[in-house]
Parts: sequence; structure tokens; C-alpha cells
Amino acid sequence: MSEIAPKELRIVGFLCNWCSYGGADTAGVSRFRQPTDLRIIRVPCSGRVDPLFIVKALLNGADGVLVSGCHPRDCHYTDGNFYARRRLEMLKQLLPYLGIDEKRFHYTWISASEGQRWQKTVTDFTNQIHKLGPLHSTTEAHSGS
Amino acid sequence: MGPEKMKEIITDVLKDVDVVIGYKQGFDKLHATPCFINKAEQIEEIIWSPVCVQNLASFLPSLKAKKVGVVVKGCDSRTIVQYMQEGLIDRSKVVVVGIPCTGVVSVKKVLDKVNHQPIEDVVFEADGAILVKTPAGETKLSLADVSPDKCSTCLYPTPVVYDHLAAEPIKSVKAPEDVYKDVEEFEGKSLEERKVYWEKEFDRCIRCYACRNACPMCVCQDSCIAESRDPHWISQKSNLSEKFMFHMIHSIHLAGRCVECGECERVCPMGIPVNALKKKLNHDMKALYNYEPGVNPEDKPPMYTFSVEEKKIEEHKL
Amino acid sequence: MRVGVFICHCGSNIAGTIDVAKVAAEMRKVPGVAFATNYMYTCSEPGQDEIKEAIKREKLNRIVVAACSPRMHELTFRRTIEKAGLNRYFLEMANIREHISWIGLDKEANTNKAIESVKMAVAKAMNNKPLYSQSFKVNKRVLVIGGGVAGMQAALDCADGGLEVILVEKSPSVGGMMARLDKTFPTIDCSICILGPKMVDVAQHDKIKLYAYSEVDDIKGYVGNYQIKIKKKATYVDWVKCTGCGACMEKCPAKNSYDHFNFGVAPTRAINIPFPQAIPKKAKIDPNYCRQFVKGKCGVCAKICPTGAINYEMQDEIITEDVGAIIVASGYGLVDMDKFPEYGAGRYPDVITGIQYERLLNASGPTEGHILRPSDKTEPKTVVFVSCAGSRDKSCGIPYCSNFCCMYIAKQAILTKDHIPDSQSYVFYMDIRSPGKGYDEFTRRAQEDYGAKYVRGRVSRIYPKGKKMVVVGADTLLGTQVEVEADLVVLATAVTAAPGAPQLAEKLHISYDTFGFYVEGHPKLRPVETNTAGVYLAGCAQGPKDIPASVGQGSAAASKVQALFSKDMLESDPAVAKVNENTCVGCLKCIMTCPFGAVKEKELRGGRIVANVIETVCAGCGVCTATCPCGAIQLSHFTDNQLLAEVNTICQK
Ligand SMILES: Cc1cc2nc3c(=O)[nH]c(=O)nc-3n(C[C@H](O)[C@H](O)[C@H](O)COP(=O)(O)OP(=O)(O)OC[C@H]3O[C@@H](n4cnc5c(N)ncnc54)[C@H](O)[C@@H]3O)c2cc1C
Ligand code: SF4
Ligand code: SF4
Ligand code: SF4
Ligand code: SF4
Repeated sequence: MSEIAPKELRIVGFLCNWCSYGGADTAGVSRFRQPTDLRIIRVPCSGRVDPLFIVKALLNGADGVLVSGCHPRDCHYTDGNFYARRRLEMLKQLLPYLGIDEKRFHYTWISASEGQRWQKTVTDFTNQIHKLGPLHSTTEAHSGS
Repeated sequence: MGPEKMKEIITDVLKDVDVVIGYKQGFDKLHATPCFINKAEQIEEIIWSPVCVQNLASFLPSLKAKKVGVVVKGCDSRTIVQYMQEGLIDRSKVVVVGIPCTGVVSVKKVLDKVNHQPIEDVVFEADGAILVKTPAGETKLSLADVSPDKCSTCLYPTPVVYDHLAAEPIKSVKAPEDVYKDVEEFEGKSLEERKVYWEKEFDRCIRCYACRNACPMCVCQDSCIAESRDPHWISQKSNLSEKFMFHMIHSIHLAGRCVECGECERVCPMGIPVNALKKKLNHDMKALYNYEPGVNPEDKPPMYTFSVEEKKIEEHKL
Repeated sequence: MRVGVFICHCGSNIAGTIDVAKVAAEMRKVPGVAFATNYMYTCSEPGQDEIKEAIKREKLNRIVVAACSPRMHELTFRRTIEKAGLNRYFLEMANIREHISWIGLDKEANTNKAIESVKMAVAKAMNNKPLYSQSFKVNKRVLVIGGGVAGMQAALDCADGGLEVILVEKSPSVGGMMARLDKTFPTIDCSICILGPKMVDVAQHDKIKLYAYSEVDDIKGYVGNYQIKIKKKATYVDWVKCTGCGACMEKCPAKNSYDHFNFGVAPTRAINIPFPQAIPKKAKIDPNYCRQFVKGKCGVCAKICPTGAINYEMQDEIITEDVGAIIVASGYGLVDMDKFPEYGAGRYPDVITGIQYERLLNASGPTEGHILRPSDKTEPKTVVFVSCAGSRDKSCGIPYCSNFCCMYIAKQAILTKDHIPDSQSYVFYMDIRSPGKGYDEFTRRAQEDYGAKYVRGRVSRIYPKGKKMVVVGADTLLGTQVEVEADLVVLATAVTAAPGAPQLAEKLHISYDTFGFYVEGHPKLRPVETNTAGVYLAGCAQGPKDIPASVGQGSAAASKVQALFSKDMLESDPAVAKVNENTCVGCLKCIMTCPFGAVKEKELRGGRIVANVIETVCAGCGVCTATCPCGAIQLSHFTDNQLLAEVNTICQK
């Protein structure tokens, strides 16, 4: 991954189109400075986020994954984030059992008007991942590949 | 308990079903194999003993069109309840012949005890002792020594659902809090230890998919995303991350659905603890939603439903 | 695959902090990319032409535009590539402005991030499939929620345009807040005199069906085809029989009922018609005060009513209406006085709210237009107005400006002088916000012609002293402490979202902000649209605004609906779920989770059961896709493979 500046870590974000992606846009429009590590994948709804995407990312090079959807009760699709909450919580609890620090995965709810909250989330999460350091340098040691 | 009562029941059941699934002897006395009975003369083949380990309920979804009788142990019966929760069987077309069970054997454990000698005979004594005859002689074992791990914490020796019971019900003497003791113990290890553990285990996986094929709740079978290109979740490369990914697919698809029959682990040629992650997930489902798979037909698997206010899920702070 | 990549400079918005030429150069190295370029304004006409020409010249079949947020211009570019003969879903956008150039100053890091983001878009685009809309019939009826001035304007404009309108109003009469006002700024014309005729039009228009004292109970469906359940709340008076004569009201013995219309300025009867001009002019019983309900016996109104309209047994009723679009004009609320302990928290009768003061000024109000102090019914000679009671006050949880208070305070100061020529008004203010046409002149007139004394500063405390209320504040211009002994204090209490606004938003699937105001599609360019197709906003439901702005939005929302209904058929969004019948194993888990009931069982010829998606019902959330264990039900445009392509671009060990 030549593009990645050495000081950056690999953070993947799944954002629902209606709320959180909009919140990230709002933060942009307001010029709220944020760290550059995050790469955003737009999904219609947090309910679209199969926990396996997160696993896939974490197993293949991501140091952290962030999922953000509409606030509970405010889902554009009524119930999508309710399913998301159960699935993501399941993963959140499973990860440490696999030896992956649960702090590497965060899920939250941010609305389209919460640009500031988005800025804070990205900043805090990025800092958290930097505190943990890269996930994969240790993996390589045991990996058979 | 002899199979006589069971044979009587099956003779009766056979009158109004298309087929009854039971056990018969396999290639030696240590192995039982499923038999599909549709004629009264086959009933004599039926056996029942602690070598009847396979979960016969697994056949039910594929026989959905037929009326089927099935012999189940306590643990296997949870599969039926789970199928009911998920609408995978039509309960009115299934006749359940339940067997209260005092434990089965792990073929692997027995073979280890007799140094993998060919089996000449296996006799279950009334006092619970097992006599295994091999060319090297006779070995006396106790059931507790050679039972699979699942039996040591079994809460449901008597089937949770049945139409006929082949013997008097047995009450579980196991403590419910022990069921997930192994999970909690593992959680005592450090993150790094756990990571190393799984990487070591999963790296041995040869992706034969025996675990998946044996799993009664792996509904996808030929459509399993571990082998498809559309969607293309994992490649056929044999590296750790792909193997790890396969096990994550298997586990996450079973979140809150695994009935802990242990079939996956039983069939794995590599001795990988395939059931362990699912147990961890079940442990969490119990804690989060007070849900236990395959126990109450009225329940809804937790991943297919939600509560607007999730009492046990706290918002995560950064 | 021949992907074309277009990197926008957006003037210096993007090019200022991203090396766009480098991004384009890097893209040319990506397998599958046949063409990559950068352009000053890709969304401009020449910019779009450049895309169209390149599609033809370079035989491009997938297009990636790296520019602003897709929430901004996705539709623009979809149309562009469609004009050049490509399926519109062959477009992907990389958001390198809002998500990159605007949030970081490090050009190198930004450029790297942009390169990866564009690569992700390329990877996804290579997996994009052509999608085609289905057309479906539109039900050209519109539901308007809220019969304030905004909702009435919307309803009338729609109805005059020939559309059938269902107007649902929560309270017993239409009119909203404006019906309670005395005069209106900046012209001081009588509020009900200009509103009344509109209310009558609403009642008499043959295209408008009014459900007063009703609420929306449930909303199902999608743009063009909504099924609405309306709850008609029990009034205990048969409105078909009631003639609005008011005989019941005169005789009702429960004389101490809370008067919602007058904000409790004076009590009313348990059975009442809220105000003389009410539409519909029908009586309704408040069971919280009615003796028949509270004590179990009375029956006076039943005896008095000449038409026998009283029915104590009446139940709520649910009515179903089908519509194709919805205008939400549910208005606003006002913050409770108990939020202000320093002002007595509503305990002093002579500290009242602005809206209560409107009722005291109003000729058809409880005091028949005489300004009388609530405590002793005497005429106040000194009146103090306190602006920003709650507004712009973070400690009160209301950081925003309530928009119209400065103006109505000026109006009320003028009217006070008109009513009581020897009175003196004081206005404590933070800033005077009067940016409308003729507005600033108006606030000046209050000071210069009507002698209202404006004191710049916050009021810190109000306390009683004999018959007076002492108002203590700081004059921040003079830097001194001010104390005014007032006869009456009027608080301009902050505007809040209408009670129940979030619950209504949840039924409508529209977003609301932290304060409960509904969020418009775009703050500048789509002020009356929401992000839910077919749902529009008007008036204070979207945020505090005065009557002209509310009316303007009512008309704007109506014209949006007219435009939507100008076609008989609508195009469905083809980004819906599709089932691969070969791999579906018929486990039907997708049916369990689809929030819209869009998935149904289907039997194939061999008797095999599979899932089947009803395209027009599917909303495109993808909950099913994340449910299906075998990936057989895929949300088009956001398939597993498309999202995996993005993940794989950035996560490769
Ligand atoms: C004291 C005071 C003085 C004012 N003076 C002036 C003035 O002089 N000039 C001026 O331009 N503006 C003035 N305003 C502002 C004016 O009141 C508003 O601009 C105007 O009322 C907004 O109209 P609306 O239709 O958006 O909301 P509203 O008037 O609030 O009407 C909303 C309607 O929707 C109904 N509703 C709410 N929820 C639901 C629901 N869930 N279902 C169905 N119906 C529902 C309500 O009952 C109400 O009838 C003043 C405001 C105040 C407080
Ligand atoms: S995962 Fe293993 S233990 Fe669980 S149901 Fe499947 S086979 Fe049985
Ligand atoms: S049975 Fe064992 S080796 Fe085979 S796929 Fe399952 S875990 Fe891997
Ligand atoms: S969840 Fe998947 S496999 Fe099951 S019925 Fe739905 S589409 Fe088919
Ligand atoms: S995407 Fe799936 S879950 Fe969502 S509405 Fe469509 S069919 Fe239902």
C-alpha cells in the first residue's frame, strides 16, 4: 500500500447514506478538521453492514473499523439500525475472544446535522487506533501465508 | 436401556409416516450410522447405545416434503426446536421419537484409549462400564472418560420436544452455570494468547467443509458463500486469513442459532475446536437477550429480531 | 472494462489541498482505467460535456467522478452519463471534497487519501451493473399534516391546482398559532381578519377533506402510494349534528377547564368551541374536566343541545386514506415557563408569555382586548418585555434564535401604547434581529414613535414587590445595573419543536435535528424537501420562521407536490434487492427481517421455495442482504461484491 503515509493507520468506515454520511458531509461543509486515516464506504443503511465486512477488513489489513448509522428510532428505513445494533454488538463482543481488541471496532449513531459529533468521533477513534498501534505486524509472525 | 421400547414405538410410528430415521450399526461396533426405515422388516436393524452419536434431526429440512419420524437424543432435539423457530420444518409432519440419554461416546476418545487398534467388539455393561475388545485385548472404560465434552455439561438429557418417549425422562444433574465455563475460562487469557490460539487452530483447517456439511443449522450447504464467486467473500487460497474468514462466516452465521450438538467438532478431521466460537456467541446471546437456541419453539432467533430499547446493550463511548 | 475517471478541482475547493493532477496520473496506472483527467468544474456544462465526449471518444463504459459529495451531485452526473448513452448506474462518485479537501490541510496526506478513495470508487464501478426503473402509478392525493397557516396555504394551493387534499389537524380547529395572534408585524393588520377567510376556504373547498382533532396514526407505503391511518379522536359531540350554536358551552357547569387555545389566560368550559372563528365550528368535550367523565354524572350539555349531538360514549376512530405525497406543517411549540426559575418559573401571575399577551390584546380573547393584569385585572402602566427567554441560551438547551420574537415584541410594544396611551414599555434585548422587508423600520418605530425603551442586556431576576414585579437586569451598553418596577412582564419564550415532533418524524421516516425540527433535503437548495421522496416540509416544523416565510414554504411545498404529480407514472428506484433463485435456499430469514414486508415466499415450478422481492415495496435498505447467509438476496448497487471491492481495495495484506 504505497499510498499510505507511514504515519497513517488503516481505518475503514461504513456510513449510512442518510444520517452519518450526511453528518460527515456537514463536517466537511463546516471545515471541521479531521485526521486523514479514515476511508469511507457509503452504504444505504447501517442495517446493510454485514458484520463479515468488518471481519474481512480487520483480517486483511485494517487497523480499525468504524460503523455509523442513524440514531435509534431515526432510521430512514425504520428498523435498519435496530438490526445493525444487534449484529454489531455481537461482533463487538466476539472480537476480543478472537484476540482482537474490541477498541479497534466502534459503532455509533450520528445524524446528518451532527457535523461536530462526526468530527469528534473520527478524531477520537483515530487517536484510539493510533494508541493501539497497527494490528497486523504481530499477525504476520504467526501467519502461514 | 435397550432398544426394545423404541422398536415398538417405531413400529407404530411407521404406520403413518413415509420414513423413520434411526440408527443402525456402522462398519464396526464402535460406529453407528443412520438408517432410513420405510418397511417394517427394517426395524430389526435399529440399535440404540452410546455409539449413536450422530444428530439425525439434521436430515429433516431436506425431507420437508415428506412425513418423517426421527429418533433424537436430548441434545439433538434442540435442533428440531430451532428448526421450528426458523420455520425450516413443518412440525405437523414430523414425529419425534425421543430418547432420554445418559451420554454418548466420542469415537475419537475411545480410539485414543485403545491406541487405534481395530475394534472387535464393544459391550456396554449395566453399571455404565464399557468393554472394548481389540486384537490387543480387552479394555474397560468408563463412559465419563470417553464422553464428548458436550455431555459433561448437558442440561437436556431428555428431549425438549417429542411425541413419544422411549424411556423414563431423566433430570439433568448438571449445573447451568457450568455450560459456559470453558468460554469464561478462555476469556481469562490475554488478548495475545487468544489470538495466537485461534491462528494456530484455524491455520490447520484444510477447508474440507466437513464441519459445515455436518452442521444442522448450516442451511446454505451448496450455496455457502465460502465457495461462491457471487458473492465472492473468500478466495480458494489456502492462507490463514482466508481460513480464518471461513470460520468467521461459519460462526457469525450461527450467532444465536447453534444448538451445540457438537457435530462440527465431531467430524473435523483436524480436531479443530470448531464449536468453540459458536459457544461464545451463545454465551453472549444468553447474556444480552436471555436467549438460548433450540429450547423454546416460540422464541425468535436474536439476530432476526430486535427491541427498540435494548436493555443490555450500552452505548459505546470512545 | 473501460473506466473513465474525472477529477474535479471545484475551483480551489478541492485543488487547493489535493494534487488533482497527481490523482489523475495515478488513476491512469490502475488496471481497467482507460482514461483519467482533471477539470476545473466538472459539474459545469463544459465539464459535463467533457465527460460525454470522453465516453464516446474513449469508448468508456464505467464512469467515476471524484468531486463533491454524491448527496450533492450524484443525480447530475447520472443524467450526464445517461445522455451519453450509458446506464445511469454505471456512475460512481468519490467524495474528495467534503470528506477530504475540506477537512485536512496536509496536501500530501489528502492526495494519498484521494487516490485511494478514487481507487475504491473505480473498484466498485467495475462491479456496477446496469439497472432499470419500473414505472408505477401515482395516487394524486396529498396529505397535509397540520392546519396552521403553512399547512392551510399548502392545502389550498394543492387543491386550487386540482389535487385532492387530506388535511389532518391535531387540535379541534385549523388556524394554528396565527389564529391566536392579535395583529401581525410589520403591517399591524388583524391576524384573524387575514387568516379567517383562508380558514373558511379550507372548510369549503370541495377538494379538501379536513380531519380536525385527528392525528396520523400510521404511515405505510412509499412515494406515490402511501396508506395513511388517521386517528379521529373522540370529541364526545357528533359533529354531523352539532351546529356550533354554543348553547352547551353557556350552560356547562365545569367552568374551570384549562383553555388550550388561550394558553390558560382564563378558564373555559369543559365543553367548548375554542374560539368564535374556529373551523370547523364544532363543540368538543374535554374529558379531563367534564363532570360526566370526572364525577360520573352531569349530562347538562346532553339536555341542552338542540340537535342531540352529545355522545359520552364516543370512541376514537381509525380512518384509512391513500395518498401519493405528504406535506408536513406541524408547526412549533413554546418552551415552558418552569424552565425559568429566575423569572419565577410561572409562579407569578403577572409574568406571562408572549403568546398569552397576544390573547390579552385580542378583541375576541378572554379580556375582549383590554389589557388587564392576570392578578388583579387592572390595566398595567409599565410593561416589560424580556426577549430571548430561553432562546440563544445553551444552558437552556436552546442555542438557536427563535427568529420572530424581536419582531413581535416590537409589535406588542406598539400595541400596548395603542391600548394604553399613558403606558411605558421596556424591552430587554440581546440583539435586535429584524432583517426582513420593512422590519428594521418597524422596530425603530416602536422606539421612536411609540417610546418603547430598549435596554440591551439580559434580565437576571424577576421578583414581586407589593403589587409590582421588579425586573433586574444589566444594561450592557451603559455598563450599569437596571431595575424596573413593572406591572406586567412578558417573556418571549423560545420556540421549540411541536410536541410529538420526533414521533411523527419516525412515522414519516424523515430526520429531525437535536431540537426536534425536521431536516430539509439541503439547507439551501432543497429547503422544503426531505430526504424521503414524497415528503415535504412547510412552516415552523422545519425551524422557527414568521408568517410570510411559513406561507412561502406552504406554497413551495405545494408546487413540489404539483411537480411530482405532473406525471401519471413514477419511476421506481431500481436500487432494490434481487434474489438469485439458483442460490436461494428458501430459508426465508430475509422475510423475518425486511422492515417493509417487501419479501414474499415464491414457489418455483419444481416446488422449491425461494424468496421474492416486490420491487415497488422494497425501500433498498439492504437489511435482507446482511441477513441472508448465502448471499442470495443482493441489494442492487450495494451488492456484497461491490462493497467487498471497496474493502479489498484498501485492505489487502
Ligand atoms: C407571540 C407570538 C407572536 C407572533 N407574531 C407574529 C407576527 O406578528 N407576524 C408573523 O409573521 N409571525 C408571528 N408569529 C409567528 C407565527 O406564529 C408563525 O410564523 C406561524 O404560526 C407559523 O405557522 P405554521 O403553520 O408553521 O405553524 P403553527 O401555527 O404552529 O401551526 C401548526 C399546526 O399544526 C398542528 N399540528 C401540530 N402537530 C400536529 C400533528 N402531529 N398532527 C396534526 N396536526 C398537528 C397544530 O395544532 C397547528 O394547528 C408570532 C409567534 C408568537 C409565538
Ligand atoms: S455449529 Fe456445530 S455445534 Fe453448532 S449447530 Fe452446527 S454443528 Fe452443531
Ligand atoms: S471440518 Fe475441520 S478442517 Fe474441515 S473445514 Fe471444518 S474446521 Fe476445517
Ligand atoms: S435469506 Fe437468502 S437464502 Fe434465505 S430465503 Fe432469503 S434470499 Fe433465500
Ligand atoms: S432491501 Fe431487502 S430488507 Fe430492505 S426493503 Fe428491500 S427487500 Fe426489504
